[in-house]
Amino acid sequence: MSGRPFYKSAGLINGLGRRSFLFKAGLVTTGIFLNGCIRKLNPNSAYKSIKGNIKGPNAKAGHILRDKLPLPTPTGIREVKTLIIGSGISGLSAARWLKKHGHHDFELLELEDHVGGNSHSGQNGISAYPLGAHYITIANNEDTLLTGFLQDCDVITGFENNLPVYNEYYLCFDPEERLLINGQWQEGIVPDFGLHENDRAQIKKFFALIDELKKAKGSDGKYAFDIPIDNSSADDRYRALDRVTFKEYLHQQNLTSVYLLWYLNYCCKDDYGQKIDKVSAWAGIHYFASRRGKAANAESNAVLTWPEGNGWLTKKLAAEVGDHLRKGNMCYSISYNQQGKVVAGIYDITRGTTSTIIADNVIMATPQFVNQRLFKDTINRPIDYTGLNYSPWFIANITTNRLPQAKGAGLCWDNVAYDTPSVGYVNAGQQTVKLANEKRVLTWYLPLCDHEPRVARLAAYTRTYEQWLDMMMPELEYMHPGITAAIENVECWVWGHGMIYPAVNYIWGQNRKAAQQPINNNLFFAHTDLSGVSIFEEAFHQGIHAANQVLAVYGKQPNK
Amino acid sequence: MNKKLHALLLISVFVVATCGLIYELIAGTLASYLLGDSVTQFSTIIGVYLFSMGIGSWVSKYFEKNIISWFIQLEILVGIVGGTSSTILFLVFENIASFRIILYSLVGITGILVGLEIPLLMRILKDRYEFKDLVSKVFTFDYIGALLASLVFPLLLIPYLGLVKTSYLVGILNVAVALIVCVSFKKEIKAAIYLQTSAVISILALLAGFVYAGVITNFSESLTYADTIIYSKSTPYQRIILTKKGKVLRLFLNGNLQFSSDDEYRYHEALVHPGLQALPNARNVLVMGGGDGLAVREILKYPNIQSVTLVDLDKGMTGLFKSNRMLLSLNKSSLLSPKVKVINADAFTWLRQDKKKFDFMVIDFPDPSNYSVGKLYTNSFYKLAKGVLAPGGIMVIQATSPYVAPKSFWTVDTTLRSVGLHTIPYHNYVPSFGEWGYIMATENPVYKKPAVFLPGMRFVTKESLDLMFYFPKDMAKVKTEVNKLNNQVLVKYFEDEWSSVL
Repeated sequence: MSGRPFYKSAGLINGLGRRSFLFKAGLVTTGIFLNGCIRKLNPNSAYKSIKGNIKGPNAKAGHILRDKLPLPTPTGIREVKTLIIGSGISGLSAARWLKKHGHHDFELLELEDHVGGNSHSGQNGISAYPLGAHYITIANNEDTLLTGFLQDCDVITGFENNLPVYNEYYLCFDPEERLLINGQWQEGIVPDFGLHENDRAQIKKFFALIDELKKAKGSDGKYAFDIPIDNSSADDRYRALDRVTFKEYLHQQNLTSVYLLWYLNYCCKDDYGQKIDKVSAWAGIHYFASRRGKAANAESNAVLTWPEGNGWLTKKLAAEVGDHLRKGNMCYSISYNQQGKVVAGIYDITRGTTSTIIADNVIMATPQFVNQRLFKDTINRPIDYTGLNYSPWFIANITTNRLPQAKGAGLCWDNVAYDTPSVGYVNAGQQTVKLANEKRVLTWYLPLCDHEPRVARLAAYTRTYEQWLDMMMPELEYMHPGITAAIENVECWVWGHGMIYPAVNYIWGQNRKAAQQPINNNLFFAHTDLSGVSIFEEAFHQGIHAANQVLAVYGKQPNK
Repeated sequence: MNKKLHALLLISVFVVATCGLIYELIAGTLASYLLGDSVTQFSTIIGVYLFSMGIGSWVSKYFEKNIISWFIQLEILVGIVGGTSSTILFLVFENIASFRIILYSLVGITGILVGLEIPLLMRILKDRYEFKDLVSKVFTFDYIGALLASLVFPLLLIPYLGLVKTSYLVGILNVAVALIVCVSFKKEIKAAIYLQTSAVISILALLAGFVYAGVITNFSESLTYADTIIYSKSTPYQRIILTKKGKVLRLFLNGNLQFSSDDEYRYHEALVHPGLQALPNARNVLVMGGGDGLAVREILKYPNIQSVTLVDLDKGMTGLFKSNRMLLSLNKSSLLSPKVKVINADAFTWLRQDKKKFDFMVIDFPDPSNYSVGKLYTNSFYKLAKGVLAPGGIMVIQATSPYVAPKSFWTVDTTLRSVGLHTIPYHNYVPSFGEWGYIMATENPVYKKPAVFLPGMRFVTKESLDLMFYFPKDMAKVKTEVNKLNNQVLVKYFEDEWSSVL
């Protein structure tokens, strides 16, 4: 709450916020509804041949929590030492770590019928494809926990001169990136083709600044920007950057080139689902300055990717967890019993029954907006939940039998068009060694950042399949004139709460710190919203951190 | 009946004669393009055609009533059959067995229909002229038409329109005659409307064929290829074009020349013999790419070879080289040998699965002109290849031109070395390609130049080998990066180096 003028009481702000939210939400959803009606009368026949549907995380389960729908009375009761709730990357990583340290008495609960959280993936006859997170960069060399895991799953195959050798089937195949700008596809995403010298100079200046910040260390000797985020320096010289927006910061640095600002907006949308006016300067810089990985056989910042995106890493983590996993099991309440043990109410989604698990300790690998509901009336945490903001996302997997060629660079892994709402598409088949097939799956990413998240989320749930096509096809046609006729299938996926975004003063503010605190030394937390940026590395470390807290309860010293 | 109509009928004789001869010429030309041996083709085509015309003339006596109406229907039919004939022949060429049957059937049908025309026309005109005038006029126009056809066909039609468009154009002329006759004689014939409609529909259909002829043989393509295209097919992976000029066949994949039958021996001898001759105990050979079977032809010259595994992505390619008569005589039916196993698979994927070892390997992929093919020249690919190379074995890689593209050539060398292979680069001159490069690679530095070669070599000998291994200054080794899946430097070098030449 720091920085707010005293006369604006929280209540007043919430009141106004709520009213304006209802107004905006009403406006937007009515608009979408009316547009849907018009569309029904006048369907766009050009999209007739496109098949597919909209999917997303289990909405029914979400509603049970949100609307407190009545559930049957629990029929069974069982005890476990440790319960992990949520099998996103954090939960899987925590489970893996427990197992690695001989702690086998645990269960991992997942409400969906699949693991991985927002690293989910799908598959059709052409290719596997991501439904969320889809790459990591090579690891920072001092991050031995991560490099250890990457070695376990053969992503790092060995070491040469103390530098990791990455598996070349997983390093992103060339050509990597292209940008449609000023009528032509250029190589690379940093704008260059047709730019004025002034713009080029500013872009150069920005990257010089980043190079400095990459190396910068605070007075405590720690890197100013590091992964995991909590390893970063506490020096306020850098942390102060968390209290301004990235936009303000760039303005202060006299970085005003529209091309540079577009690029940075693109980057923030890509990583955080929001533009530079919504994320803190610290977070905006972290995106660039925290990655210092070096490899024996790849460039610094090289990308690792798979057809199914981070779904591949999910599978590797899940394989280590094995039969501890219970899918289709939703935790709907967390409380304490008289012995101080944690009591979890569990709803078996397929059977429609409920049961109780009594656990010595629990790792909540769930986002805080979910925890808020699970803890309601039972556990109070000193957290302002409205300070945690989640970006909604729309992802479309497009199966096309042809990709009309345009001027300039050919198909790359990452393909972006300048000044469009989406952050472009990735070619799911990039990592195949087969000679290119004309049939491809392209994964198109649209962060829904034009309205405040609550409004955008509601709007996203309201939209029909045809309306999503109306939103995406003009952009695809702009990138590839004539592609509509070649598209066979579009699988839509809506993430209402796609990822946490690092709003101003979130990463180094009180809220995040408070949310990380365990309760009674038996309720621990692990999720990327406790890091403030939703990347694989953070989730991975969040899981290990919470698992270590559990191991410490049993007096086990984790391997470092 | 007025004079105008007489003239019209005589003009029809003229057009009918011209068209008839052109159909015959088209069939003859197409057959000699596709099957070679033009003397045989033309003789048999002309024979069948004339004989069929005889049948047509004989059959004409059975047409008794409504002769004008029959004449019009026949004209429409000739136009359709003749107009589409070359398209049909192009499309069925792949299957050589049925090609001949269809070729001679089409020639026969056209001949019969054309043979019917003149007798019927004479009967239409018989009451309007005296017999001596009739015979004189009809045959005069007939022979003038023939002269015109024989001049226009080679001088105008083939150079400017190509075979397929010519057929459609002539077909349209035929049906146009039918339509004009039909309109002019509408009082004398029954069902004139029906005939007119069929004629108009046929003209439209032929017109569509004429316009879309490009799709069938890609007219623009026939302009970019110096020689006549005798076969063209788009497979899921590539566009295969076979051209012929005189006795020389050339194969193009996606517009890139793969071989020319007059000098391919230089390429394939150089590709195979320096390596395989040095392995007297070689038993099992792997060929990747090379779906033309020409490298396999060279390999099968060694009696010690027990099996050849050919991995080529494109069934369309290996199928063509297993069935086409001209191509079979070129590759000595190598792909049909019981020692040869053809596997249509993606080489990279296949290699990741297979564990069998090979004494000799030929890696003969298209040039690395795009990122897809570029993957087959990476260190990752060569690591896999090394994995299936038997101890003491040799692999040889076609590695583009060390003269035109030295950086590309030496990148292949650097990349092979980066996975721990020893390399022996060499080159020779192939007139169609220019100076061309190959690299042998072995696990240990064991290669010894063979002292003798098999008899019957036209290019590779002990003496020529010394020259092949020597790299003059203008092709000397340059320092390059390793080509990897995540940098694909080779594709970039290749594009730079060849774009300055082409």
